Amino acid sequence: MNNPYLPIPVTIKKITIENEARDIKTFDLVFNVKKDIEKFKYTCGQFAEISMLGIGESPIGIASSPIDEDLVQFTVKKYNTGVVTSALHNLCPGDMIGIRGPYGNGFPMKDFEGKNLVIIGGGFALTTLRSLTRYVLHEKNRDRFKDITVLYGARSPGELIYKSELKEWGERDDINVYLTVDRGDENWKGRVGLVPNVLKEVAPSSKNSVALICGPLIMVKFTMLPIMDLGFEPDKIFFSLEMRMKCGVGKCGRCNIGPKYVCKDGPVFTYEELQRLPQEY
Amino acid sequence: MENLKLKIIKKKDVLNFLDSLKEEYNILVPKEKDGDIRFSEFSSGEDIPWDYRNTKISPKEIFLPRTETLFSFKEGTLTPSDSGGVFAPANEPKGSAQKTDSNKRTANYLIFGIRPCDAQAFSLLDKLFGGDDFQDPYYLKRKEQAVIISLACNKPQITCFCTSLKGKPDNEEGSDIILFDLGENILTKPITKKGEEFIENLNSWFKEAKEADIEKKNKLMDLSLKKICSGVDLHNIKEKLDEAFDISLWNEIHQKCLGCGICTYLCPTCYCFNIIDEMDHETGGLATSRGKRIRCWDSCMFSLFTLHASGHNPRPTFKERMRQRIMHKFNYCPENFKEIFCVGCGRCIRNCPVNLDLRETLASLMSFGSMSKDKKV
Amino acid sequence: MKEIEEKIKETVKKLFKENKIDIFIGYSEGTLPLRSTPCLITRPEDIEKLVWNSYCFNNLAVYLPRFFLPQTQKKDVKLPRIGILAKGCDSRSIVGLIKEHQLPRENLYIIGIPCEGMIDIKKIQDAGCKMKEVEIVSAEEKNEKVIVENEDKKKIELKKEELLADVCTSCKYNVPVIYDVLIGKEKRKTKEEERAAIIEEFEKKPLEERWKYFQEQVSKCIRCYACRQACPNCYCKECFAEQTKPKWIGVTDNISDIMFYQMGRIFHQAGRCVDCGACVRACPVGIDLRIFTYKLIKDVKEFFRYEAGVSLGEVPPLSTFKSDDKQEFITEP
Repeated sequence: MNNPYLPIPVTIKKITIENEARDIKTFDLVFNVKKDIEKFKYTCGQFAEISMLGIGESPIGIASSPIDEDLVQFTVKKYNTGVVTSALHNLCPGDMIGIRGPYGNGFPMKDFEGKNLVIIGGGFALTTLRSLTRYVLHEKNRDRFKDITVLYGARSPGELIYKSELKEWGERDDINVYLTVDRGDENWKGRVGLVPNVLKEVAPSSKNSVALICGPLIMVKFTMLPIMDLGFEPDKIFFSLEMRMKCGVGKCGRCNIGPKYVCKDGPVFTYEELQRLPQEY
Repeated sequence: MENLKLKIIKKKDVLNFLDSLKEEYNILVPKEKDGDIRFSEFSSGEDIPWDYRNTKISPKEIFLPRTETLFSFKEGTLTPSDSGGVFAPANEPKGSAQKTDSNKRTANYLIFGIRPCDAQAFSLLDKLFGGDDFQDPYYLKRKEQAVIISLACNKPQITCFCTSLKGKPDNEEGSDIILFDLGENILTKPITKKGEEFIENLNSWFKEAKEADIEKKNKLMDLSLKKICSGVDLHNIKEKLDEAFDISLWNEIHQKCLGCGICTYLCPTCYCFNIIDEMDHETGGLATSRGKRIRCWDSCMFSLFTLHASGHNPRPTFKERMRQRIMHKFNYCPENFKEIFCVGCGRCIRNCPVNLDLRETLASLMSFGSMSKDKKV
Repeated sequence: MKEIEEKIKETVKKLFKENKIDIFIGYSEGTLPLRSTPCLITRPEDIEKLVWNSYCFNNLAVYLPRFFLPQTQKKDVKLPRIGILAKGCDSRSIVGLIKEHQLPRENLYIIGIPCEGMIDIKKIQDAGCKMKEVEIVSAEEKNEKVIVENEDKKKIELKKEELLADVCTSCKYNVPVIYDVLIGKEKRKTKEEERAAIIEEFEKKPLEERWKYFQEQVSKCIRCYACRQACPNCYCKECFAEQTKPKWIGVTDNISDIMFYQMGRIFHQAGRCVDCGACVRACPVGIDLRIFTYKLIKDVKEFFRYEAGVSLGEVPPLSTFKSDDKQEFITEP
């Protein structure tokens, strides 16, 4: 019987500081035992439990893409109250941690094929959306999807993550990237405005499209109105939810919304599914 | 045909019978401990309290102990062989002496004298910890080899309401063998194949049951069933609760709840747990580089159960937590497992410090107006 | 008893009629024999549910802090006016909570009831009822007697005096120390010296024996935290037992961890515990918590000449100091 509680050992290959406040870092991890790569076949939108032995575990969305074959990436924000994230931010390349997973339902990529993708991210929540974007932009996959629109905003220019990648995407002609910040600075030449407002401006078509929204609760809340106004149906709007988790496999009883467990039946839910669930999250 | 399998063993022979199995099985029986009854390791010569009503702490602690080590680690490394802890966990249930030595694996459990409601609870937990997606090896490996011998109830208590939940004093769900206390004799009835084989292998201890024995058993069970008079009609509780998330009744139900974990801890079907890492300490307090990942009981009634690191708590007050408990047991689990996660054992009612009675709560929910018209919170 | 019950109902009816309170916290009939249960009333028609009897042992003060949590104390949120039934011990808990700024006195209407003692169900077992084997299905209080009926339809008459909880037989303050109206008789004679005697007897034992007893008792703990939740003084939003940063206590059956939790919680009660017995009654595994609380109360009395919850004016000793405070425990360990 497979033991789902045992973590797979991985080593940190590289750490990238993503933001000006220096509390968001991307960890590049390689598997200690090469064979374990097979155990960790994942899809976009899934998460893993990052395991720090002696400290605890934390569920983090997978930031790398299935096309990245040798390594797995996680972007982790440090919370002062978070024991694991705080300890994680003190690590260096060469240190060993564990991961358990991949868990969760991930984005239904097959259902997205042949459709336009409207990808809306806020702040630090771009991680799994980045996984998805890298996947669809890959030459092996690009032609299976139609137009791709990425709308991403952060509080200030320094807080935008994956800056180099965003620049690359902006230079491509097979993807439309709209970046915005709540507040600019003296060097920022781009858009200034809240994500929901920029969405109204950009006004992507809802015909044959799906919208994927990940961000702080308040951003998501205010993005809902323009999204619905644009004509997106509830079953075409996708969210990735967060919840306090422990086991990650639907056994410890903690992360449920009604009968659905965010670790098992989520974290990706459509708006239609969420409307049917109790409003308790 | 069924009756051919029924056998008799004299009550006074049972102790010797269990004695003979001591080497082969890790036998757990209800035992007097600290003024209450609890499942503990069988000792030769100590009589079984045949008249016991039920244990305070449910026997779920045998397969899902209050704390157990999932695995241990050293200096940041995790050696896969450490997962041998699955079979012989470092923390045995309280009261049962450590039977393992490091080379010998724990013998199979023989749970003797469990009440049918608690056995039924095991079959519910099997659905959760088993299941198609992920299996929990810690619970399952212990449970799979265990032989469960239940003892039918001659005298249900005033807090018993198993009949409201597909149970009865001689319910067979979850047991391998069920026993009936006829006074001088114990009538045994195998239920599963495992139970049949168990009795067959030990045939010399048993005699054929006579017609009179079977009649006596039937009479006892009739009387016993009649004794269960406190119940709630729950035939459509799941459907009623489908529409009940926002009703105003939840504002009242939680009011006297203290938020202690007693109901969930003693409940045979509650299973929520926490996973915590702990480092070993030398005597004297210095931390070592060795540690363990530990699983321990947790409770949805605790205020920090769903607290996020960001400070957000989806269930910030007693109301949401009480609602979660009831909805989980009587609506979400039926949705996911097609079973209500309650067996009517009455422990929560008996032990709640403020006498918050689940039967009352369920009755008010069942009779709460026409759901959609009731004012939302 | 019945008279007092009627008077209580009358008073509460009046309070609602005159719109003096929004909520009343009292007791109503329990669903088990020998039990009453806390009851929160917001509608006048529910006043009939209220009871007063010898099973009303729950300390109702534990429900008060949740009505006055800091987040509700915003400018435009009106604080509720709570009426509450208070026995002697409950009233002292209320005094303690007011002193610690958890409750605004002006929002409370306290109906004080001089208490004649509450029954401890465990004592019925001792009284020869063999309650565990033959269940009690109903009970009736008649003056100074309690008549229980068991499932064999046998009626047994018991003297109420012999069934009173230990915390009640040695109670010093059965008359509430704070109230807006008092209903009932005055102070009754109790064996206050019993509590002191228990501690003195125990203190005479050698250290190893005492420690062994503590270990035996706390090793029963299943970390359900009922003791903490039942205690009106334990209102901390995040208990030290559950903090993760720093992590003070482990969760296993390691005796050190359990001892740390139990001792830690008890010590946090120093100068605050009123010996109401709520923790003892709540504990599902019967840990003898009173051996700790008694000692604490004795020490606080000796070192600081202070008894918790008696007077609103007195400052809790661990919140202040007097220059003549005894210091032997620091200077001469």
